[in-house]
Amino acid sequence: MPELGRGPRIVGFLCDFAVDASALTAPDGTMRQLPNVTLIKVPCSGFVRPSWLEFALRNGAEGTFVCGCPLGDCFNRLGNNLIGDRVVQLRRRFERQKIHPDRIATIYFGLHDQEGFLGAVKAFSDHVAQLPGPVVPPPRPAPTRPAAGARPPAGTAAQPAPAPEPSSESGQTAQGES
Amino acid sequence: MYSRALTRLLDWTLRLDVAINRVYPEDFNPLYYTGGLSNLFLTVLVLSGIFLFLYYIPSFNDAYISVQFITNQVPYGQIVRGVHRYAADGFMIAVLLHFFRNWFTDRFQFSRDEPWISGMMLLLFTGFLGVTGYVLVWDERSQLLVAMTGRTLGAVPWIGGYLQSQWLGSAGVSNLLLPRMLYLHVGLAVLLYILLWWHYVRIRHPKVWPPAVWTLFSLGLIFLLTGLVPAASQPPARPDAVPSSLAVDWLFLLPYVALKVLSPLVLLALAVVITVYGLYIPYQLPETPAALGIRDSGIAQVIDANCTGCELCYYDCPYNAIVMVPSPHPGVTKAAQARKLYAIVLESRCVECGICVGACPFEALELPRLLESDVQQKVVQACRS
Amino acid sequence: MTDRETRYGTWVAILAVVSFVAVVAIAVGEFTGQRLVGGAAVGVVLLAYSFILLFLRKGGFTGV
Repeated sequence: MPELGRGPRIVGFLCDFAVDASALTAPDGTMRQLPNVTLIKVPCSGFVRPSWLEFALRNGAEGTFVCGCPLGDCFNRLGNNLIGDRVVQLRRRFERQKIHPDRIATIYFGLHDQEGFLGAVKAFSDHVAQLPGPVVPPPRPAPTRPAAGARPPAGTAAQPAPAPEPSSESGQTAQGES
Repeated sequence: MYSRALTRLLDWTLRLDVAINRVYPEDFNPLYYTGGLSNLFLTVLVLSGIFLFLYYIPSFNDAYISVQFITNQVPYGQIVRGVHRYAADGFMIAVLLHFFRNWFTDRFQFSRDEPWISGMMLLLFTGFLGVTGYVLVWDERSQLLVAMTGRTLGAVPWIGGYLQSQWLGSAGVSNLLLPRMLYLHVGLAVLLYILLWWHYVRIRHPKVWPPAVWTLFSLGLIFLLTGLVPAASQPPARPDAVPSSLAVDWLFLLPYVALKVLSPLVLLALAVVITVYGLYIPYQLPETPAALGIRDSGIAQVIDANCTGCELCYYDCPYNAIVMVPSPHPGVTKAAQARKLYAIVLESRCVECGICVGACPFEALELPRLLESDVQQKVVQACRS
Repeated sequence: MTDRETRYGTWVAILAVVSFVAVVAIAVGEFTGQRLVGGAAVGVVLLAYSFILLFLRKGGFTGV
């Protein structure tokens, strides 16, 4: 839920070898100049599972991004290209699920490019702020067929290990269309 | 003190990147493709070298004449000779850029040491290739190089005389010299490819070609230089006297310039020290990430119950640290029960980057000290703040 | 045409003319037997092409 005057809630994954954001970040992980953005440090941009980006959107974030090293200069050689490809695929999946694909993004900035990083995150935050509608579409209503056992609403999800479901203030059920 | 100096060098290197990325789009930045540039020049060298090899005669009387024949009589011979000459310089420059960049950006740590070691040997043998190449022309410079090398080898205590006679092929300079030099030149080129196999063994999808912009630029520069400053021989070698001045190619012949001020033994000792130090670079810093004070997530672990043998982690691991083996037993989840293959992480190659974790759609890989649940907890916390 | 396109587009056009002249120089060098001229001209063509590719990208005509 956007809080007025603060901008949309954004969660960013930042890899250890990309831009050095230590001067831009408060101890709790929020960015000083953009308090609606929280950064989570990961060992490589390629470490990020696409399911975590979806998890963030279903748990209160309005936008998430991954920041890796400049394309061609990943410290681990392939990570930024791989997360780029995975996010492209995830955006297409989101379109089918009626989640706006612009809510996720990949950006690439090197160690000393704090200005570029700040500018890109600000632009992303502003863009997400004016995206329409709920972050994830509301779950489908349960079918009204009378049955002996109650059916779980909104279909079953075929995940081998179900993600933990924290109580969320926004009141969305975590298992939507997956 | 060393790690502070390294940090400073990393700093300058990456600030240089910011400047270059203002001029060139990121995927055209040449410093990201130094390995590919080296391979480009090596390919040009091998192709032009085969052409030259077809006409070269390794004997005292005929070597110089055969090179002149290539230059003046063979169609396009002068161009191929010039291409070979300038591609060699380009190769050395690209290799040195590759060396310094990978050194200054810490890309040799922990499990990335083998490309470094093989790379040091590649650098060393590249130097030898350049010297033998200059000797093959058998002009005044060649004669001087042979004499200086012989003297330097002869200065080694105890085995100096033996080394010198091995270099020359007999007690003094004789007709056995040039075939030996040709053998060293071509043989070392083959050895380079063997070392390159070792160089690539721990690397998936090695970037062996630079972007088109730089391929065109490098080839264009080589041809332009060939036309503007044609490669030419010095006056032919004289059997009676040894010339005293050397026309220097700084990229390959720097040690010979150093012989003007250093004694041969000192030069050799310096060369050994530098080489040994270079080989020691990956092992100079503490052994473990924890000791270095950087993130220590642990070697990637395969979750047996979930692995379906889909091979996505195998294809994505940048260091070839994951191998697929026939599944020893079925997994637990429905999809894992039907698996034919099973992923195994080679601990000696894993750098704990976690790219395999991001690749796996079945939650069958984790970094022990940075689990999916840890990440999700951080996300939830971030969404609450 | 944006300003960026005009600027880089002009350079691409100039380089295209330069490479055409160089191709003519290759032919001339070949016919007069001065192969070094031909070789240098090949170098000019390749260099010009590399910059054409770069300017096409920077002008926004190609690429991401």
